[in-house]
Amino acid sequence: MQNRSPAFWLFLTPVILALGIVVVIPFLYGLVYSFTDWNGLAATEFIGFEHYINLFQEKEFMNSIWFTLKFAVASVLLLNFFGLALALIVTRNIKTNNLLRTVFFMPNLIGGLILGFIWQFIFVSVFGDIGELLGVESMQGWLSTTETGFWGLVILTSWQMAGYIMIIYIAYLENIPKELIEAAKIDGASSFQRFKNITFPLVAPAFTISMFLTLSTSFKIYDQNLSLTNGGPYNSTQMVAMEIVRTAFSDNQMSYAQAKAVIFFLIVAVVALTQVYYNKKREVEM
Amino acid sequence: MKKKKLYGVASALLASSIALAGCSFGAGSDSGSDEGSGDQVTVDIFQFKVEFKDQFEALTKKYEEENPNVNINVKTVGGGNDYGSSLKTSFSSGEEPDIFNIGGPSDVETYEKYLADMSDTEAAKAALEGTLTSVNKNDETLGLPFNQEGYGILYNKKIFEEAGINPDDIKTHEDLVKATEKLDSKKEDLGIQAPFALPAKETWVIGNHLANTFLADEFNHDVMEAYQADTVEFAMGDQMKRFLDLQNEYSVQPTLSLDYSQQVEELFSLGEVAMIQQGNWVYNTILQMDEEMAKNNVGLLPIPVEGYEGSIPVGVPMYWAVNKQSEDEVVKESKEFLDWMYTSEEGKKFVTEEFKFIPAYEGYEDQKIADPISKEIYEYAAAGDTLGWVFLGAPTNWTEGSLAVNMQQYLSGDITWEQVEENARKDWENSRQ
Repeated sequence: MQNRSPAFWLFLTPVILALGIVVVIPFLYGLVYSFTDWNGLAATEFIGFEHYINLFQEKEFMNSIWFTLKFAVASVLLLNFFGLALALIVTRNIKTNNLLRTVFFMPNLIGGLILGFIWQFIFVSVFGDIGELLGVESMQGWLSTTETGFWGLVILTSWQMAGYIMIIYIAYLENIPKELIEAAKIDGASSFQRFKNITFPLVAPAFTISMFLTLSTSFKIYDQNLSLTNGGPYNSTQMVAMEIVRTAFSDNQMSYAQAKAVIFFLIVAVVALTQVYYNKKREVEM
Repeated sequence: MKKKKLYGVASALLASSIALAGCSFGAGSDSGSDEGSGDQVTVDIFQFKVEFKDQFEALTKKYEEENPNVNINVKTVGGGNDYGSSLKTSFSSGEEPDIFNIGGPSDVETYEKYLADMSDTEAAKAALEGTLTSVNKNDETLGLPFNQEGYGILYNKKIFEEAGINPDDIKTHEDLVKATEKLDSKKEDLGIQAPFALPAKETWVIGNHLANTFLADEFNHDVMEAYQADTVEFAMGDQMKRFLDLQNEYSVQPTLSLDYSQQVEELFSLGEVAMIQQGNWVYNTILQMDEEMAKNNVGLLPIPVEGYEGSIPVGVPMYWAVNKQSEDEVVKESKEFLDWMYTSEEGKKFVTEEFKFIPAYEGYEDQKIADPISKEIYEYAAAGDTLGWVFLGAPTNWTEGSLAVNMQQYLSGDITWEQVEENARKDWENSRQ
């Protein structure tokens, strides 16, 4: 680092400044506030770890962590499955390739808040009407129970983000050298064997990226949660981000919410870094 | 080449700094006009009522025309929670508004050091009895009421007529049950899906309004009493339960995913249900859906509470507050503006005709109240047949975050009513420790 030229630092300054002002400094501030009784306007007392002790005993917060974990597992699996599947479809030589790519990517361009409301209409009204028409009990009353709320959120997220993940997989799929596939063909490998032994290992870096992206987004989801279920029924579909916002702005416990946010940050950081570490180890060098 | 790059970076930096400067509460333009003429006063208003934003801005324009030395900037951020958090943000970032809104006793406590005493204003003297209780503190009046709001059971007059139900006969809970059953038995002939639509998804409908009706008596209709209470007894818990049960049983299902807009727009305005528990604020929404219905077809029934038959809950949802940390000049102009709005002839006209408010002040006898629901509520209020709005005195977020959530759990069948009361009581006591 020492032998970098002054120009290097000069060009880096704007970014470091921007990052420092909007990310690092507020983060440190928040960390300090989480040890006080800050109410949003003034902090009068330094209370140490009290908030951190309390939050682990709070049922609602623990429930929201548990719910978020379940959601993250389900949506990471589904997202990567659908992302890869869609990528495999559009990298075949089909005439409508480009159209399909656009269509699959489109949901990603709509804001999460609006998507939430659209899907709310689909789940509540469209599902309800279809269910009534066909007499299917399980199609009715979506979003009014915890399970349907959960799957509603998973479906919404998968639908929205699968196209984005698809793009990442496409990039790697198209980079696989044709010779390898051809050689395998000549050796008599079936299309499943080709996928399993050549394509799959070679898109491993894409897995690392996609898993990281899907994992961290599914942990941090807020807008979809807000517009689709708003935590209901009885706060059982409330994810951590929403729980924190509510503690801060509805319960008016700013510093307590800040402590929750610090714990949340630690969880996401640990999970995401572990995952990247393991996936990196698995990648194959060409 | 290198030089060119540097220019690029420099110009980008410059551009972004200009963009950033533009973000600060329109400060640039204000200070400009201040310098221009020495005695210009700028009043920044930060208010929460999205519904009347346009009308309110029109009113401030008018005031500016009459008082050329006053500049009024209005900033509106809607919805209960959003407003609270943005207000807090603007205070902690130092961009304090001169006039803002506070809700109840807990807001008074949070913002106490900013609240100017309003007792010297005309409006404070004209405020109706009881509307100032939650902002009176140590002989000071720290806010001025926005308006009055009231709620009850809104019913569709036409459907009631077709079903042969006389709304005047509905006094007690038993009467209401009978009417509901009658509506339910005839629902095919009447073309309705169900008698009620209960939006149990909306925590404010069940936690604030429904519950308040049966909690008001316990706290003597006094929001301050609720604010100081260490516990909540649910003395009328049984009645609360049976009224919730009635609405839930005879509602369009499933209630837990039914929301406010479905209730008011899709179901009630289109005549799909006969009754909803709502208040005067739905008038404009119904008006947009069906003008004829809004003007002639909506009636108001009191929620039956034993001992309070024929009374409806009426209260002040929000108060105007003036920031006493602003310059004296600004404080003075702010008070004058609020006075003008509620006590001048022109202001009064705006309040009733444009804002469609139910006035919380005296001296509106000659004004006509625009919509029939408000009119009915004003009549109840004038006759003194009211229940207090005590939910504003409950612990922060207790009504929606605790009671309503437990009620939802009760509706889903997970817990019993006894547990609802117990859990909610525990939460109340915990936050009052």
